[in-house]
Amino acid sequence: MKPARASQRYRSIRRNTGQRSLYQESLLLGKLDDSFNADETGDSNDPEQIFQNIQFQKDLIANIRCRPWTMRQKLGALRRAKEIVLKFEGRLTRTRGYQAAGAELWRKFARGACNFMVTFIPWEMRIKKIESHFGSGVASYFIFLRWLFGINIVLTIMTGAFIVIPELIAGQPFGSTDSKTIPTESFMSAQDLDTVWSLGGYLQYSVLFYGYYGRERRIGSAGYRLPLAYFLVGMAVFAYSFIILLKKMAKNSCTSLARASNENYTFCWRVFCAWDYLIGNPEAAESKTAAIVNSIREAILEEQKEKSKNPAVTVCLRVIANILVLLSLAGSIYLIYFVVDRSQKLEQSKKELTLWEKNEVSVVVSLVTMLAPSAFDLIAALEMYHPRTTLRFQLARVLVLYLGNLYSLIIALLDKVNSMSAEEAATSSNASHWTGSNAFFAASVAPEGEKWATRGPGTGLGRSGMWTPEEAGLPTPPLPLAGANKTAIYTQSLQDQCWETYVGQEMLKLSIIDMLFTVASILLIDFFRGLFVRYLSDYWCWDLESKFPEYGEFKIAENVLHLVYNQGMIWMGAFFSPCLPAFNVLKLIGLMYLRSWAVLTCNVPHQQVFRASRSNNFYLAMLLFMLFLCMLPTVFAIARYKPSLNCGPFSGQEKMYDVVSETIEEDFPAWFGSVVGYISSPVVILPATLLLFMVIYYLQSIARSLKLSNQQLRMQIQNARSEDKKKVAQMVEARIQTQDESSKRLPKDGDLGSQLSSAHSGTPQSNGAVVSWDSCSSESGRVEAAAQHTPPSPQPGPRGPSSPLPGTSKPRPGPDANRRPRGPCRSTGDRHRSRPRSPVMLTKRIEDAHSEPLFRKGYQHISPPLGGPGPSAWAPCGSRPQAPSYYIINERDSHKNPHPTFWPERHFRMDALGDPVEVYPRSTRQAVSRGPRLGGSPQLSEEDEDAPRRQLMEGSFHPHAPAGLRGAPHFYVGERSERQTPAPKRQGRVPHGSWSDGLETQLDRPGYVHKKPRSRGSQYPQHPSNLRDRPEFEPPLTESDSMSAASSSDQRDSSRERYFWVPRGKGRFPRPALQLGGRKATSRQELIADLNDLVCSNV
Amino acid sequence: MGSHRGLFYRYQDLAPQLVPLDYTSCPDVKVPYELIGSMPELKDNPFRQRIAQVFSDDGDGHMTLDNFLDMFSVMSEMAPRDLKAYYAFKIYDFNDDGYICAWDLEQTVTKLTRGELSAEEVSLVCEKVLGEADGDHDGRLSLEDFQNMILRAPDFLSGQRVQLCLAVLGGIKAPTGGLRASEYRGRPATCFCTSPPSTSASEGTVEKPGQRRPA
Repeated sequence: MKPARASQRYRSIRRNTGQRSLYQESLLLGKLDDSFNADETGDSNDPEQIFQNIQFQKDLIANIRCRPWTMRQKLGALRRAKEIVLKFEGRLTRTRGYQAAGAELWRKFARGACNFMVTFIPWEMRIKKIESHFGSGVASYFIFLRWLFGINIVLTIMTGAFIVIPELIAGQPFGSTDSKTIPTESFMSAQDLDTVWSLGGYLQYSVLFYGYYGRERRIGSAGYRLPLAYFLVGMAVFAYSFIILLKKMAKNSCTSLARASNENYTFCWRVFCAWDYLIGNPEAAESKTAAIVNSIREAILEEQKEKSKNPAVTVCLRVIANILVLLSLAGSIYLIYFVVDRSQKLEQSKKELTLWEKNEVSVVVSLVTMLAPSAFDLIAALEMYHPRTTLRFQLARVLVLYLGNLYSLIIALLDKVNSMSAEEAATSSNASHWTGSNAFFAASVAPEGEKWATRGPGTGLGRSGMWTPEEAGLPTPPLPLAGANKTAIYTQSLQDQCWETYVGQEMLKLSIIDMLFTVASILLIDFFRGLFVRYLSDYWCWDLESKFPEYGEFKIAENVLHLVYNQGMIWMGAFFSPCLPAFNVLKLIGLMYLRSWAVLTCNVPHQQVFRASRSNNFYLAMLLFMLFLCMLPTVFAIARYKPSLNCGPFSGQEKMYDVVSETIEEDFPAWFGSVVGYISSPVVILPATLLLFMVIYYLQSIARSLKLSNQQLRMQIQNARSEDKKKVAQMVEARIQTQDESSKRLPKDGDLGSQLSSAHSGTPQSNGAVVSWDSCSSESGRVEAAAQHTPPSPQPGPRGPSSPLPGTSKPRPGPDANRRPRGPCRSTGDRHRSRPRSPVMLTKRIEDAHSEPLFRKGYQHISPPLGGPGPSAWAPCGSRPQAPSYYIINERDSHKNPHPTFWPERHFRMDALGDPVEVYPRSTRQAVSRGPRLGGSPQLSEEDEDAPRRQLMEGSFHPHAPAGLRGAPHFYVGERSERQTPAPKRQGRVPHGSWSDGLETQLDRPGYVHKKPRSRGSQYPQHPSNLRDRPEFEPPLTESDSMSAASSSDQRDSSRERYFWVPRGKGRFPRPALQLGGRKATSRQELIADLNDLVCSNV
Repeated sequence: MGSHRGLFYRYQDLAPQLVPLDYTSCPDVKVPYELIGSMPELKDNPFRQRIAQVFSDDGDGHMTLDNFLDMFSVMSEMAPRDLKAYYAFKIYDFNDDGYICAWDLEQTVTKLTRGELSAEEVSLVCEKVLGEADGDHDGRLSLEDFQNMILRAPDFLSGQRVQLCLAVLGGIKAPTGGLRASEYRGRPATCFCTSPPSTSASEGTVEKPGQRRPA
């Protein structure tokens, strides 16, 4: 029956507690499962119970993995649980079993599929391998690379599917219009290497670049609107990048925010989480050990570093370093600007450019990009920051450098675009009055100018807009030849002057050269250096491997930034060169293989391996920053400049985005156009912006307040935890003191404790009057120590029919009657008497000490009239208000000498429970309440949930359970006795005896037990159980009952509880039985039942 | 995944002469610690002895089949984090007193670093660890302290990567996911499938520059 109830209780626990406590419970239950499960099968017939039981068993089956039981226990429990479920659930519900089996099968299948899918993740194995060799930092680079690869694939699909392929399929074929034809002058050189190299010739007039795309509004039979698609895709590229970046960042920051905690466990983690339990290779173990040692040393250094430093020197060095960095940044920016400027001038002044002159810009940019980070690295060594800080600085500087480079490049390019469009603007302004003469001029020039002949008449107007000012300035046709020559040159250059194509070319060129430089640097800096170091080391005068060149390190910061920079270029150029993402995909694939090969072949891991998880968002933030900054010039160019007149999908339009408004006007119903017009008018835009700001502000403030509340909650948890800890600490402290005292006590006499105890020994009859429940823990400890001796002690004397126990003593009206009158006078007398006696009557005193808490109560009662020694003796005890009542119990239990082997473990169990303090009072309750249930009240209060655990545990630890519960009766009974203080002389003098003796005596007197109706007793047990129960039992409860209930159930309020106790004890004392007389009787009855219960449950 | 070998066979392989193939009668067989500790999964682990002790019945490191299965199920990637934390605590609690005290910590650090730290460093580390995680300032870590600390470890929380909870007890590798609840029901020989130990998956993460020569 008992285990059955326990399991029932367990169900309620399961229902009421979260996952978190599962382990702790199961710690306990691991011990019991054998017993309760065995009994569970024979559970009652109550359908509700059966249902609960089945539920419980199902829970058990589901969660069995989470329990720290041994395999045998798990198997046993599982088998039993299944039997029960099978037995009670019946055959009809077996279909559910099939469902479950199906679900299981599906789960397995899903898992297998998941595993299978993993093989499709590109480069997964490669990255894993790198990660296992170089740590997550290096792997994060590759993961980032892979992620970028994914983004670029999407971008490629977008541009490819909506721009390139339609143009190829349905657009006008190559050579059909002059924007798709290679000019005749350059036709000869179109296949020269340097033309191809500078992306001229065939490449220039291909789908690679903006200029190739036709300006027809609709192409093909389906009427695909290519210009519109071009514009929308160009915008969608940015939009998609933004969205995907922000999404990823939000996800990352979610996890990192969840991770962010105030607690700082660096050392703990470095010790406890350091070992990688996957390592199964001696070399790896070796290096892991080295890494751990390093990291621990590093942490120690970090801890100590702050003091041992010369601040002035450091500051100076840092200032110098920053100045150097700024200088090099400025230098690199100037260099790039200078080069771009020079190349423009060269282009204008020179007809034939050398290879170097053509590629100067890209080469210089790439060189700067490659060399400056190394310079920063050297400079950073000056600063002597912590490695992580160094990395941050390095990242920031390199980012600024890259941005500077890109920006100076783009500004230079835009400069050029500016001049180009200025020329255009000039021509177009003249074009109006030259149209007429143009026809004439064209006609007259026709024979000479070879080019004109090849062109259709439709191009005439386009050409006419392209006349340069000089040409426009040609007043007369008398110089046809010269004019034709000039025309030829300028026509070509004008036709070339498709600034969008130019920008796209530059970007693609930059990207290609960057790729070449990357390959070169990998080969040169990593591979050849590695070869050199590796094979020449033996013949060199110094150790190449550890001294100067060493092996290359994988520089995460530079490499990641390089990726970011690269992606920035792609974003910048994607609008002008739709194939740039596709090219980038290829580039990234190559980079992935080359890099991973280089890393595995010729790199050594970074000396400071920093955790990847932290910096992941950092990369993304940089990427986002880059994206934003790269978008700006593109958008600026789109919004600001007029599209080139004779090339590209937007030629002839005033602005590129006109294509959208045009489409809306022409292809949508009128109302849509007006709606869009309204929406885009300031009337809507301004309030919308305002609203947006408001929403942002609101969300931000919500986030702030959430953060605050989060913080507060955390603080609350912290407080609660520390409060608990404080209690535990006090307990420990008290126990230590107890130990001291108890060791001192026996040999010594005359100290306070012995005085008191001796006094008590003399006045056992004052039991019931004991009030001072705020016992010194030391005292109680001593009591406990004494109590421990009791059970084994065979002395028959104290074990007589009379028991010193307050609880037992109470119900006896007879002895009680004597108490009052004897209390005050006797105790004093005993006090004095006891001194001489105590050394002699050691055993006796021990027995006495048993009832000491009660004694003290009595003592306080007594002391006011006494004055003199009484209060003074008590003062030290009273001055320890922190020790609440149940500590006594606790200590007693945790500190028993007779069971040295049991207690430590038990103590641990209790701590594992997390609330030892809590458990004891409850166990008391349970102990108290158990009897009545046996007596026939089957329903259990859910609130008692903790009790059975405890109880059963005790049972398991102490087959002879009374010892375990010994503390409990003291607690409650004492309380009760206090309530009874004013009871008129019912309780007689109670001889000393052990608790169990008391119980026995209690049993020996059935008259008292049965005198009162049992029903009272059966109600009683629930009264101290929990405050929640109180309403039900309000009537029988006395004031002190409820208080005791409160105090016992709410261990958090121990201090408050104490306040209650003291005044009550004092205040009530003078009051005679008048007020409490009625209740007293009931309480006494309760007590009887209560004690009876205890006997039943314990024996 | 390719070659399915039961965990039981792994156990049986450790001591073919000791462990019978027929387990229907549940023979009381123990594989001695020397053999357990020399398994590839454990042999380089500084805490292998503690692991064996924690999982064995008598704390002597000799394991029955059940113990063996316990160990694998706790160490598998599928095991819940709390469970791992609980066993990690037991492993680090060298003297089995229910607390990680300074002495336990010293043992841990010494084993972890193979004695490369000086005594002062070790004691400093212990002091720091206690200062960080000891919530009740009683000079030792209780299970609660430990769980509180370990469950916050970054490796514990970064769930997306495969390296989930490797930091604590990542595991004796059972790449197919180790043992699942559903598999406990039958006899081990038929149900516990796992791949041969893949130790190559993770090797050292850090090497000092210059120590390693490129391949």
